[in-house]
Amino acid sequence: MNGFLEYVPGDSFLHHMNPVAKLAAAFLLVIACFATSSFVVLALVIALDAFLALRCNMVRQTLGLARAVAAFSLLLALIAILFTPKGAVLVALPWGYIGTESIVAAVRIVVRLVACAVPLFLVFYVTKLTDMANAMCKVLHVPYKYAFTFTSTVRFIPVFMNDMAAIMEAQTARGVEFDGSFARKVRLMVPLCVPLLVSSVRKTNSAAIAAEVRGFNLRTRESGYKEYPLGGIDAAAVAASVVAVALGIAANVVGLL
Amino acid sequence: MIEFVNVSAAYDGETPVLRDVSLTVNDGDFVAFVGTNGAGKSTTMRLMNGLLKPSEGTVLIDGVPTSELRTSELARRVGFLFQNPDRQICCQTVREELMFGFAAQGRDDAEAARRVDEVIEQFGFDADAEPFLLNRGTRQLLALASIIVMRPPVIILDEPTTGLDFRECEKVMALVAQLHKEGTTVVMVCHDMEVVADYACRVVVMTQGRVVDDGPTFEVLRRADTLAQAHLVLPQILDVAQRLERELPACPSAIARAMTVDEMARAVEAAARKTGAGADADDAALSAATNKEGEAR
Amino acid sequence: MIEITDFSFRYREGASPVVSDVNLRIPEGTFVGITGAAGSGKSTLTYAMNGIIPHCYPGDFYGSVRIDGLDTCEASLTDISRLVGSVCQDIDSQMVSSVVEDEVLYGLENFGVPREEVEPRLVEALNAMGIADLRHRSIAGLSGGQKQKVAIASVIALKPRVLMLDEPTAELDPASSEAVFQLLEAYVRQSGATVVVVEQKIALLSRYADLMLIVDAGRIRFSGTPAEVLAHADELLEIGVNCPRSTTLANRLRERGLYAGDVVRNVDGAVAAVKEVLA
Repeated sequence: MNGFLEYVPGDSFLHHMNPVAKLAAAFLLVIACFATSSFVVLALVIALDAFLALRCNMVRQTLGLARAVAAFSLLLALIAILFTPKGAVLVALPWGYIGTESIVAAVRIVVRLVACAVPLFLVFYVTKLTDMANAMCKVLHVPYKYAFTFTSTVRFIPVFMNDMAAIMEAQTARGVEFDGSFARKVRLMVPLCVPLLVSSVRKTNSAAIAAEVRGFNLRTRESGYKEYPLGGIDAAAVAASVVAVALGIAANVVGLL
Repeated sequence: MIEFVNVSAAYDGETPVLRDVSLTVNDGDFVAFVGTNGAGKSTTMRLMNGLLKPSEGTVLIDGVPTSELRTSELARRVGFLFQNPDRQICCQTVREELMFGFAAQGRDDAEAARRVDEVIEQFGFDADAEPFLLNRGTRQLLALASIIVMRPPVIILDEPTTGLDFRECEKVMALVAQLHKEGTTVVMVCHDMEVVADYACRVVVMTQGRVVDDGPTFEVLRRADTLAQAHLVLPQILDVAQRLERELPACPSAIARAMTVDEMARAVEAAARKTGAGADADDAALSAATNKEGEAR
Repeated sequence: MIEITDFSFRYREGASPVVSDVNLRIPEGTFVGITGAAGSGKSTLTYAMNGIIPHCYPGDFYGSVRIDGLDTCEASLTDISRLVGSVCQDIDSQMVSSVVEDEVLYGLENFGVPREEVEPRLVEALNAMGIADLRHRSIAGLSGGQKQKVAIASVIALKPRVLMLDEPTAELDPASSEAVFQLLEAYVRQSGATVVVVEQKIALLSRYADLMLIVDAGRIRFSGTPAEVLAHADELLEIGVNCPRSTTLANRLRERGLYAGDVVRNVDGAVAAVKEVLA
């Protein structure tokens, strides 16, 4: 059973790519999604997402993630509908109106966020965090301290999520009913942040000590045992992502839908 | 009464962690679930109070399937003490913590306040102390107190003695034994076989998601194949008794059947006096006497 | 190997010292078991031995702690760590990797072990803990006992002269706890390293430890071989430390004037004692 953002072992080409190239390509795809307003380009990125998810056998997780991102972006979409009066008037509002363009903008927000979130999340599922930190050090010359801080933050996300789930379970066993409206759920969860915070502080403190007694302070760029050479596939992936950015911008210029 | 009827369970629809388990916990039972880590014991506990719903089969509490009971209703019938008290404790003072369950179930009235005061008195807590600043053993006691203040007819304990020292462990278990004497049904998961042998009346042995043995504590702990299959480590006195039974040419049955240090010491003393005096005392009478003591305990 | 002289420590936020007037000499190659009631100061004592005190927890430090001659107050925590490997209580937060192999590599990389030595040391450490088959497994999917062995392997790969473990079997079932102690004992005998274990399960300590330390109210109340320490059964009970049941049984037989042999510390001993009484 693997948790949120936890590495899933595998043998796909994504698993074998250089971690830095993976991150770079994912960020370029994010840029492509935000640079373009063309649905054609966004659809292409989503098709690419589906292809990647299939290749690394992560369809179930990807669908779950896409659903979560879509739910979150609906909120933003709603704001876009209500507060960007553009296009033909559909519904008049006291402060403006909802237009055809507002609807299009709202849909675009949802599609864009889903399209760009998938590659970013996949990177974490197919890359060991230690490899990510080491490659950032070796290839990008990021000081190890910062690379480690970054990966540790990601590493603790599933740990804290498990903690929160266990805390909620303990309160459910005492009769707290978390099912119900979102607002009610949030109101019930707020006091539970105290035990979560207590256990988080303890955990991060002991993690820091554990790293220190295993020579964390001695680590330099040369320490890593594994090398992270950039290969042909890495170059191809980054190039493809650059093309995606270019396509996105070009589509805007020619006014492709 | 809690009944499992052909229950299977799985997290995330993946491989089942519990396979086709059927068992009944009767009112007034004191049952210990034993087995290695990952045998499905904790999953069984979660199913018992409806935190987890079975993927196949039914779990019935007093004849009602857990899937049809509301959370608050489940919590009222079955109290659950988690292994880590810090998951449970979430209030600013000891008193609030003890009131929390009542508040969650919408029963925080004068009667609840009276019971909370009673428990504070009984446990000798400082009502205004901040729970997170108490030591580990006291936090475990507070977590237990916040369950028993609700007086659920059934309590489930998930490794109640882990992380506690000997004295704290005795204190927690003495309380649990007292509750059992007063009629509470107790179900626990416990790795410490000495605690199991001291307190539980019945043992359920699990391996790989299945129940492989179930019966009175001392009968189960005498079955060699069960012990081997579940990688159980015997309580020391039982181990001594079984070894002596195998290795002594004419082992008196009082020795072979001894369960506690005192019983064993008495049995050995009686046997020694007999050998020493060279008398041919009646072995059966001796063992009957010891058995009676065992039952009284 | 470990030399503690007139050591006392008070945490900065604490009112009184948690550990006082400790004097201790631990020779190399000893399997040391420390136990005591909750809050007796046993963890603080181990923090002093691996340098976490004074380097991570501020407070008043009196006396001196020397590991192989190195004064822990003068040396940096990193230098102490070259001598003393520590396995912390909270295994999950100690893990830095997602795969077993990387977890063991981590310390080797940090301490700059030469490249050609890395692979043999990695294999050796995994073998010593009997987990060679787990090398490429994801840590999230391991059982508690397996994780504990990975944590120990990742420290012994560094070949520390002293290995410290804080309640390594707290979350484990009896069979896995036993396995961990067997592996540790084999490691002490083969490597000649000193192993210090804080443990609540006294039955395990009395079977495996060469030297047992009983801590009470910040002081070492008893120290010696398990048999020497267990001879004080009644006093141990007073300070919240119970004896293994086999020891208690032999003591009862002694009280009844039936047994006059050595202190019993395990089931084998108890069986032998009863046979002796009945012979």
